[in-house]
Amino acid sequence: MSNIRTTGKKSSNTLVRDLVNVGIFAALYIVLAFISSSIGYIPALIVFSIGSIALVTSIPLFLFFSKVERSILCCLIFCGFFGAAMFVMGQGILMLTISLLVGLLAGVILKVFGKSFAGLFSANIVMSLMSSSMMLPLWTSTEEYLKYTSTMCDAGYVAKLAELSQSPWPLVAIYAFGILGAIVGGLVARRVMKKHFERIGLAK
Amino acid sequence: MKLDPRTKLFLAVVANSVILSAPLVYGALMFAVPAILLLLERKWRFVLVFFSVYLAAALGFEHLKTMDVGRVGTLGVSTMMIISRMMPIGIVLYYVMQTTKVNEFLAAMARIHVPTKLTIPLTVMIRFFPTVFDEARAIGHAMRMRGIRLFSLHTLKNPFSILEYRLVPLLVSITKIGDELSIAAVTRGLSPETKRTCVATIGFHVQDVIVFMYCLIVTGSFVIASHETAKQSFVDFLSALFC
Repeated sequence: MSNIRTTGKKSSNTLVRDLVNVGIFAALYIVLAFISSSIGYIPALIVFSIGSIALVTSIPLFLFFSKVERSILCCLIFCGFFGAAMFVMGQGILMLTISLLVGLLAGVILKVFGKSFAGLFSANIVMSLMSSSMMLPLWTSTEEYLKYTSTMCDAGYVAKLAELSQSPWPLVAIYAFGILGAIVGGLVARRVMKKHFERIGLAK
Repeated sequence: MKLDPRTKLFLAVVANSVILSAPLVYGALMFAVPAILLLLERKWRFVLVFFSVYLAAALGFEHLKTMDVGRVGTLGVSTMMIISRMMPIGIVLYYVMQTTKVNEFLAAMARIHVPTKLTIPLTVMIRFFPTVFDEARAIGHAMRMRGIRLFSLHTLKNPFSILEYRLVPLLVSITKIGDELSIAAVTRGLSPETKRTCVATIGFHVQDVIVFMYCLIVTGSFVIASHETAKQSFVDFLSALFC
């Protein structure tokens, strides 16, 4: 097969497949992120809920990373869509910037490490920084964020959020839970990939 | 009546930002646009139900927000708030998605020079949200038949199994659909390197100009009004500082 292609360029057919994959997995990622962060409506679980996104989404992300061929471009578009969706929902421009940076970093990691377990695992951990940043405006621009949430949630919840924003430790805990979730999720995803996807030929 | 996809995009952006940031009056003014447009699409019952619910919620919220209503009342008021803020955005997006064909959307995007590398995944993503929900529901039914629910003895023994039983079939079916979609797209010659042709004609007409002007007037009046109060408070602040 290899002597058919004469130009050194990658085929544009695989580019279309990559782009379609980006769209599909971005839709799935956004849905999963919203479902798993919705347990944060119980005030005691706010800190944990954001971290749980990384745990739930690591299996789709592993599959996504192993399917795309142009990793930097695809990760950049993927994270840009997530950031843009958050931007439409009323988050600030900060979220969009962070997600673009995270996408670039994850793409570069995948490019350097290749499609090995180390590459997928570290890219997944980097991706967890993006979903963990969803609550970041609570600390960087406290008053605006509280005003924004008070338009959607009741007063008790907002009071709980205001109490959280007093110290930086919950923020550290959110990131720590996110990274922990990505580590555990990565280990689970490795098993699931071996057990299911490689067997039916969806991933190599 | 047909609007240009670019006008619809502009309408969605403006309505989203106005409804989220401006007082309710401007939100109601913006909500009138998709309501009228949907009426022209002959969706009488839809518009009547949602517009009356919206009006009731908005008026109720305006009336009740300064009053002290107990714990249950707070829940009701915040529900009214969500309805009056989130529902108009949903209606605008519903209108845009219902009436725009993928073909026209891609053509309009190419006309404003958005690169194809962005528009292909964007259209796939927008089209895929309903598919994700449908597939997840079907898999949920199948798993319930096998006795695997969110809170059952089986899943309490091993919490990660719920990920495996619900997520893995979803991923398999979705990647298969995606592969078929990309094969179909390649067969029809969709590629970022070639220029796409389109049978549907898109262009700006009188109705587009009307919608544009209306959006600009509403946004402009909001900006001017908020600017004047800002100026007034600034003057007050200065006078307080010097006197």
